[in-house]
Amino acid sequence: MAESSFEFQLERMFAESPAAPDRELFTLRVVERLDRGWTARRVLIGAMGALGGVIGAYEIIGAGVTGQVAAYFVQANDFLARHVAASVSGALAPGGIYVDVQAIWLAGALAIVAAGFGLARLVREI
Amino acid sequence: MNTQRTLAGVHDLELVTLGRTGDRAAFGELVRRHSSAVRALLRRMGADGATADDLAQDAFLAGFEQISEFRGEGAFRTWISRIAARSYARRWRREARAELLADGPDADDPQAGFGVGAGADARIDLDDALKTLSDPERVCVSLCYGVGLSHAEAAAALNAPLGTVKSHVKRGLDKLRSHLSPDGDGGQRRQVSG
Repeated sequence: MAESSFEFQLERMFAESPAAPDRELFTLRVVERLDRGWTARRVLIGAMGALGGVIGAYEIIGAGVTGQVAAYFVQANDFLARHVAASVSGALAPGGIYVDVQAIWLAGALAIVAAGFGLARLVREI
Repeated sequence: MNTQRTLAGVHDLELVTLGRTGDRAAFGELVRRHSSAVRALLRRMGADGATADDLAQDAFLAGFEQISEFRGEGAFRTWISRIAARSYARRWRREARAELLADGPDADDPQAGFGVGAGADARIDLDDALKTLSDPERVCVSLCYGVGLSHAEAAAALNAPLGTVKSHVKRGLDKLRSHLSPDGDGGQRRQVSG
C-alpha cells in the first residue's frame, strides 16, 4: 500500500465516528452552560452598570454640577420665554395664539427622541 | 424541540452565522451534529471518557466565544476539532506524559500504558490500533491525521521540536500500517478470530 494512500485512508478512518448515544444529553449540557454563561454575563454587566451609575451620580452631585445645570436650564427657559416663544407664536399662530415655553421644550425632546430612533434604525440597516 | 426540528435542515454555515448573533439554539444544533466526532477524537488521542467529555464541552464553549474567527474556509467540524485537539495537547503537555515527548522517540516504550487490544477475538479497528501506539505517537498521529495539522503546527501545539514530532508520526504510522493492513497483526488477528 502506498504511503499516501494509507495516510488518506487513515484520515478517512479518523473522520468516521458513530453518533454517540448520549449526544442529546451532551448537547443539553453544553447549551445549559452557554445559557448560564450568558445569564452571568448579563448580571455582571448590569451590576457593573448600576455601580458605575451610582458612582457617577455621587460624583456629579459632589461636584455641584446639578446646581450649574439647573442654572443653565433657568437661563435657557428665560431665553425661550423672551425670544423664541414669541417668534414661534408669531410664525405659527398669526391670529394671536400663544405658544407656551413648555411646548417648545416638549417639541425639542420629541425631536431628540425621533433623532435617536432614526439613528438606531440607520445603525441597524448598516 | 420545534426549534431543533427547524434547525435540523439548516447548513452548518448558516448555523454559524446565527451563532455569531448569539443564537444559542443554532449553536446547540452544531454541538448536536459534531460533538460525537470531537469526543471520539479526544478519546483516540488518549483522553479517558470523562476527560474527553469535559474537554469537548470546553471546546464548544470556546468555539461559541470565538465563532467570529471561523471564516467558513473549511468545515466547522475540522475547526472545532482543532480547538479541542489543541486543548488536549496543552493539557497533555502539562502532565508528566509530556516528558516522554521531551525524551525523544527512542526513549518510550511502544506499549507503555496500553494493552494491545481487547482480546484475541476483538475486531481490530482504528481505536484498537491506536492503543498499540505510545502516548506521544498517538497524540502526534491524531493531531496530524485526526485534525489535519501539519507537522510544524503539531510541533507548535505540543511545544516540541519538529524533528521529534516527525519521528513520532513516522513510527506511529508504521505501527498503524502493520495493525490495519490485511497482512499486518490485525489481519492475522482477524483470521484467528474468524
